[in-house]
Amino acid sequence: MNKLIEAWSVNAEVQWVILIILCILVCSSLAWNVWNFLKPGKLVKELLVRTRSWWIMCACFVATTLAHPVVTVIGLAFLSYALLREMYPLLKLDQRERNVALLCYAVIPVQYALAYLGMTTLFLAFIPVFMFVAIPFMLVVRGETKGIVRSISLMPYSLVAWVYGMSHLAMLFNLPELPGFTAGPQGLLLYFIFLVGINDVLQFAWGKIIGQRAVLPNVSPNKTWEGLVGGVLSVTLIAVALRFLTPLEAWEAAFTGFCVAVAGFMGDAIASGIKRDLGIKNSGNAIPGHGGYLDRLDGFSTAAAPFFHLIYFFGVTAAG
Amino acid sequence: MPARTIDAELFNARVPNGRRWLLWFLYKVLWRTVFGLVIGLRYVWAKAPHPDGPVIYIANHNSHLDAMSLMTIVPSHRIHLTHSVAAQDFFGRSRFRSWSMKHLVNAVLISRGKEERDEIDPIVLLDAMLRQGHSLILFPEGTRGVPGVMADFKRGVGHLASRHPDIPVIPVYLDGLYRTLPKGRTLIVPFGGTLVMGDPLSFPAETSIDAITEKARLAIETMEQDLLEENKIPSSDSP
Repeated sequence: MNKLIEAWSVNAEVQWVILIILCILVCSSLAWNVWNFLKPGKLVKELLVRTRSWWIMCACFVATTLAHPVVTVIGLAFLSYALLREMYPLLKLDQRERNVALLCYAVIPVQYALAYLGMTTLFLAFIPVFMFVAIPFMLVVRGETKGIVRSISLMPYSLVAWVYGMSHLAMLFNLPELPGFTAGPQGLLLYFIFLVGINDVLQFAWGKIIGQRAVLPNVSPNKTWEGLVGGVLSVTLIAVALRFLTPLEAWEAAFTGFCVAVAGFMGDAIASGIKRDLGIKNSGNAIPGHGGYLDRLDGFSTAAAPFFHLIYFFGVTAAG
Repeated sequence: MPARTIDAELFNARVPNGRRWLLWFLYKVLWRTVFGLVIGLRYVWAKAPHPDGPVIYIANHNSHLDAMSLMTIVPSHRIHLTHSVAAQDFFGRSRFRSWSMKHLVNAVLISRGKEERDEIDPIVLLDAMLRQGHSLILFPEGTRGVPGVMADFKRGVGHLASRHPDIPVIPVYLDGLYRTLPKGRTLIVPFGGTLVMGDPLSFPAETSIDAITEKARLAIETMEQDLLEENKIPSSDSP
């Protein structure tokens, strides 16, 4: 019983970051409501809906992170599953390839189990080495070759982009004991979630306030240079300020924050490109004001693997 | 097999308490969880509140999952009084099928063709059921057609609604469940989908059968169009 309580207890660092998240949510909700009261408009309506969704998402993220690691890993696996399930019909992989799609779903629990059990080598190789061959072979075995190049390209891509990347977050629970580091894997996970989430918000905010020149006018006209630079710089500073959640030095945290922000932007841009080609505005409607799972998780799934490797390099390898 | 009579069928449609809880658990707990979390069905609820008494639900039909998904939107206290109307010739083919349709789906089986002898008129039966306070789930297309193409509606819904002007008709548009379980396949592979529940329609007593059928069809088609428009990139705007 004592062991259970110990596993559920929340350390001081994590309590702090939850308090910060709560403050941001309360402040923004208040601000938008006052703004909406004084001068109602389309933008503030959207902000209200988005903030309401952020409340729910933060509640889910924090609750899942603070629960037992098994619950956290299952929650992350569910996000991967929701991404695949949302994207396969959009990518038209639901007709002839449905049996192989089921196999791709089955890859998710295996990959996350490998992460949870700490089988590092197999975890790193399972999707990009073994499934990279198995999935195309299963497609070929069906005996139907029409349109197969498309499925052979898309299915392994979907696994690497939305399962393999995301599953690195489950790997945070298998970092070795680091001297002087007390926030634990839960702290690291919240640090990452906070950085990517605030990155999206700040790039949006900077873009809305001072955005002038579009970065990728043909892909996503809403992304501006001002938003990108402002967002990346702010996130770098926030990463340094919150480094009590990590085993990192100040400059290491700054570099990690910078990389997470840039990777988040890249993921966002890639998802925009995919959506543009498919002729859709959002990947779905699961989260009011944000769109589907991909619209919210594009940054998370792209930045997860770089984040894990940076933490591993700075915290474990470089620290000796 | 003895000839079916209206009274026997009405008696059959009554659900004992034990099965009522089974149905509640199956649809409001089990299937609801499966649809929400595993299959990823998005529910778009009606703006108007759900009517209290008997209701006729109508929906487009592309998958065996359609009836299950409609049962999950029925209010808990009426789940045992709500019956999907299913084809006798398909679902009554084996004893296992007809048993599970009765006990697990709470369906009422009717004959589609007129050639089956000794059968009761489906409209008379369904009319009697509505009068006794039951709700019905109808698929007016009559069969699971081609996805994305809505077939002409059978006039059953018009017959029933014109006889019961006080009973509201709730149109439901189902999108995407045909991917998860297409016609002719048995393997369920989750691919999401959307269930749009419309506001209740009511028809004045003098509305003709054909007009009701047409309006019901139009309501579902409008919901289909709205859903299509919802996620298109406006030509002038950006993603």
